Amino acid sequence: MPVARLAFEGLSRRFDRLVVLDRVSGKVESGGLFAVRGPNGSGKSTLLRCLAGLLAPDRGRVVAVEDGRALANDERRRRVGLLAPDIAFYDELSVSENLELVARLRGLPPASGRAVAERLGLPAARPWRALSSGMRQRLRWAFAVLHRPRLLLLDEPFQNLDDDGERIARALLDEHLENGGLAVAASPVSLPLPRISGELRLDR
Amino acid sequence: MSSGWTAEAAAVFAKDWRAERRARHAVATLVLFAITTLVIASLALGPIGATPGERSDVASALLWILLLFAAAAGLPRVFVHEEESHTATVLRLAARPSAVFAGKLAWVASLLALLEAVATPLALALFDLPVASPGRLVLALGAGGAGLAAATTLLAAIVAQGRGATTLFAALAFPLLVPLAVLAVAATRAALGGGDAGGVLVQLFLYDSTIMVAGFLLFPVIWAP
Repeated sequence: MPVARLAFEGLSRRFDRLVVLDRVSGKVESGGLFAVRGPNGSGKSTLLRCLAGLLAPDRGRVVAVEDGRALANDERRRRVGLLAPDIAFYDELSVSENLELVARLRGLPPASGRAVAERLGLPAARPWRALSSGMRQRLRWAFAVLHRPRLLLLDEPFQNLDDDGERIARALLDEHLENGGLAVAASPVSLPLPRISGELRLDR
Repeated sequence: MSSGWTAEAAAVFAKDWRAERRARHAVATLVLFAITTLVIASLALGPIGATPGERSDVASALLWILLLFAAAAGLPRVFVHEEESHTATVLRLAARPSAVFAGKLAWVASLLALLEAVATPLALALFDLPVASPGRLVLALGAGGAGLAAATTLLAAIVAQGRGATTLFAALAFPLLVPLAVLAVAATRAALGGGDAGGVLVQLFLYDSTIMVAGFLLFPVIWAP
């Protein structure tokens, strides 16, 4: 029996009269990666937000299981590691202070973000507002993996990263999958991704 | 409440103060607003020609009008800024809703306490007011400030939800804030003038308890995606 599993069935979501997701389904288990592909505006980010518990679907259901136990929506939201382009951090706080805040909120030692920040080559003392778009993406990676989640949801995971950043991010993803985690990765282009166990193509 | 929950709430509180210390948005705006309002009011009304009783009536009402408007002016910083700058997603993903509410409530309460600490002595000096019962004045300001902080935090969470929230805000603000203002003014007036404030203070504490319980019950629903 897999340690972790994520399944979604018949998910639909509309914004006013615009149907963004229409009865989409998929599943992924420990060690696997579920790839979501589709052009801009096809609903990839909406799907990931529904899977993270940040957006309630109009129809359908999401089932996340860890250690044989189904997670409630609130619990799922707090346990997933989500990387999304619209996640931002506090302008007035430095990289290390933002990660310290996240660590405290997640019940981790305040300094627990230091190792991942160093690995990602983040400038610890620089405030969020002074980070380049690539460094911001690296901080989003640090935020997503800081608490070692079983379920990693990646929306355009390598956006804005340079070669070095993408190499580190891919290494983090490989380690996550090797350690029994599972991932859902969404991208408008066909990215070479490891251990793809399922795929969903969305149309606009 | 677990230690983890307390640590989460403390982290939200500390984050807001750390950001405020660097940006100085709220404190500078609120203190400047308080000083300007009190100086203009004292120049317009003046202590001459009014009895101490009349002056304490005016000053109590003025002080609480000032605090209500200051709270309303600082209100968007509590949650709207988090939503607009997309940092709310970080809080939604990492913290329990009740801990977010507690942290924000503590931040607003501390901000109002700071404002009271600046505005009250200034109002007493400008209006040349004696204080009959300093202890009761502190209680009145504390209880009124706690109720105002809880009501403001809850209303701020509603306002931050965008469309349709303005109507709900207007419908809730009046019944939430008017009883508080009436009780807080009465308690402050009694503390300044030497009247019996016991009954009013009890009502104020009951108001605080009710609004805080309502806040902790309602906030997770308001905050939920």
